[in-house]
Amino acid sequence: MYDRQVMDTVTLTIDGRQVTVEKGRTVLQAAIESGIKIPYYCYHPGLGIDGSCRVCIVKIEKMPKLQTSCSTTVTEGMVVHTRTPEVVEARASVFEFLLINHPLDCPVCDKGGECPLQDFSYSFGPNESRMEFPRRVFDGEGVRADVDFGPTLMLNRNRCILCTRCVRFMREIDTDAQINITDRGYGSEIATFQEQGVHSLLSGNLMDVCPVGAITTKDYRFKARPWDNPEAVDTICTLCEKGCNTTAWIKAKPEWAKGPQLIRMTPRLNPDVNGYWMCDIGRFDYHWIEGDHRLQRPLVRSEAGTLEPTDWTNALSKVADKVTAAGGTGALRFFVSAQASLEELFLIGRLGGAFGLPESGVAVGWRQREKPQPKHAKFKIPPTDAPNVNGARVLGFPVKTGSDGTADISAFRAAVEQGRISALYVFDPGPDGYIGDVSWLVEAKRAGRLPLLIVHGVVMTELASVADIVLPGAAWVEKDAAYVNAQGRLQGASRAMAPPGDAQEDWQVFVNVGLALGAGLTYTSSAAVRADLAATLSANEAFAGLTSLAFSRPVTARHWLQASNPSERWKWDFMFQDLPPVKFAGTPRATSPPQTIALREVD
Amino acid sequence: MSFHPLMEYDPGRFHHSERKIADEGAPFVFTPERRAKLDEILTEYPPERKRSAVLAALYLVQEQEGYLTANGMRHVAGILDLTPAEVEDVATYYVMFFKEKVGKYVLQVCRTLSCALNGAERVTESLSEKLGIKVGETDPSGMFTLLEFECLGACDRAPVVMVNNEHWHEHATPESCSKLIDDIKAKGEAALSGCHLKVEK
Ligand code: SF4
Ligand code: SF4
Ligand code: FES
Ligand code: FES
Repeated sequence: MYDRQVMDTVTLTIDGRQVTVEKGRTVLQAAIESGIKIPYYCYHPGLGIDGSCRVCIVKIEKMPKLQTSCSTTVTEGMVVHTRTPEVVEARASVFEFLLINHPLDCPVCDKGGECPLQDFSYSFGPNESRMEFPRRVFDGEGVRADVDFGPTLMLNRNRCILCTRCVRFMREIDTDAQINITDRGYGSEIATFQEQGVHSLLSGNLMDVCPVGAITTKDYRFKARPWDNPEAVDTICTLCEKGCNTTAWIKAKPEWAKGPQLIRMTPRLNPDVNGYWMCDIGRFDYHWIEGDHRLQRPLVRSEAGTLEPTDWTNALSKVADKVTAAGGTGALRFFVSAQASLEELFLIGRLGGAFGLPESGVAVGWRQREKPQPKHAKFKIPPTDAPNVNGARVLGFPVKTGSDGTADISAFRAAVEQGRISALYVFDPGPDGYIGDVSWLVEAKRAGRLPLLIVHGVVMTELASVADIVLPGAAWVEKDAAYVNAQGRLQGASRAMAPPGDAQEDWQVFVNVGLALGAGLTYTSSAAVRADLAATLSANEAFAGLTSLAFSRPVTARHWLQASNPSERWKWDFMFQDLPPVKFAGTPRATSPPQTIALREVD
Repeated sequence: MSFHPLMEYDPGRFHHSERKIADEGAPFVFTPERRAKLDEILTEYPPERKRSAVLAALYLVQEQEGYLTANGMRHVAGILDLTPAEVEDVATYYVMFFKEKVGKYVLQVCRTLSCALNGAERVTESLSEKLGIKVGETDPSGMFTLLEFECLGACDRAPVVMVNNEHWHEHATPESCSKLIDDIKAKGEAALSGCHLKVEK
């Protein structure tokens, strides 16, 4: 038998260093893997190779000309130089060319501060440009050149360096090639057919792949610069069962300032789950977290019939009184959204155990909706809008699915509609609508068929507005919690910020409700809940990591590069080690005045 | 308005590009003969590579409409399983495809090095003056369109003027071009030289 290890690697020399990489890698990949700095624009690890930007050129011995390292496959014994004068000078010229028409409007450009064009030009480019001509201009000057590029994006063609990453993203990942390059050479422009813009649920990724500020999102435009967002928290998205790994960006602002703290979501590389990408739903549907409809204080229905804000002590004693009045804890039933995390489901299980809840006493709901995407899209957004259907299944909750994958809660619904349930506790920590259709429940409550309705959630939904008691919980970026995605993968979402107002993390709410209702829950942290959960699940290997899940904490950046685009964070890690920038030493203004050729007189 | 579930789409709120977008043109389908011709061309490619026939298909659109319309490009995209954007990408890359209405005779003057050194600029100027139009324009009668082209591959006989993508007029001078215009006006197609490629053969 041959030894895979030996057969499938190639050893080459880069800058005098022996480097061993997997066969089939390119010189650029080999350099990146071993921490050798080579700049690149058109290369993107998630996209096909194009070789159009030319900044990755290197000298390979025995090859007559400089080669683009991104499109040259490594071979045994190859000798590569990335820092010889020849390479350094040629590379600087490429940068000079790239900047010939670039507007350099960094002060008003959204990419400023996390822009590979800035960073690489600074490290590898010439000190100054010899460009003395007016720059080519499309669509207008400065930010006035930003044109509409579909529902989510803006395009500034003046900044584009024609790396075609966006074209390749649409062709290869979205598979509906909506972006093209019209014209050619000097007139080349990024465009969509008839200027209709990009219409795709993956459109936000184009902002990530664009190495300059040519493609920006309407959502994030002009809202912050990287140095305004010193905290970036690695977390996951919980808006569907895929569970993309993401980073939540927290803007620094004085507490009295208006506007949200959570400023954007970006994807984080996880080859097994989402690759380099995320969808627009996960990326843009976060405004509700700090929106006007967030529940900030417990609400209790007054004598007059209105929901009045109150404090937790009062709300919890009301919970106890009303539950007793409605038939005691034995009569309490639960309706849980599959947005609930493992910890929360576990606590509901504990409460149920203490109350003698029958098997049929819990229903799990979620929303199912098809996402319009091309048939062969490489990144598919699943229809189930819940992160933890699998988790509920594993914990023994009655997860019933209809033939089309929707939650089947018909038995529960019948019980409510026939007035067989006297006290219902609804737990829904997701945005409005993600629990599925509950209009029938609202109807039943309005018609008086449901004597007691407690809603524990995060936003003022229609359901919450008819409840007797509303308990404010935390959205997924406001608590450490574990979920099991569609692949059966255990993942943790981290607490990036505090829940608003008096709202509490949901495990805390359950512990308090349990205390109020006489179920002795004594947990003092979500980690304690997880530890207990892990103990009960110790037989299940998939949950072995439960107690060791790493929850990311907001890390204050030590320097501005750390707060850069995390989808390319590994690039910063590799590229900006403590090496000094490789500056092109020669002066670009080689011509001294006497050698200047006088311009021809034109009559 | 928007198919996008999260972003309202109000194009009125945003800037628009000044980029020339393709003329929508009349609703387009290939005539049965041209469709048959395209189907025949398609047999030369493996079915999964039928997109390779895009140039041939675009030539057929141009033959039928005189220039490439957005509707024509959509039709081609539909047949070849491409997106309209991909077809436009190809169509705008090649200068032989006209993106707007052109005259019956399209005069394309080479402006690349050999021709330029041999006075192509003078030729263009004289044509422009004689026809009363600037480069890129069509004369009011709809007879002539004047365009500048890159190297036509006949550098040894520079300067070169190509008419309608097919007829090469070599060693052009302002005088010979003036005569060419007069001849075309008098005799039509007959005044044109043979196809350069066929001559070579
Ligand atoms: S818009 Fe951005 S991603 Fe697209 S080609 Fe230009 S620079 Fe590259
Ligand atoms: S695919 Fe699902 S998990 Fe991923 S970003 Fe979109 S909604 Fe979130
Ligand atoms: S990264 Fe190699 S040519 Fe662009
Ligand atoms: S330069 Fe005019 S034909 Fe080549």
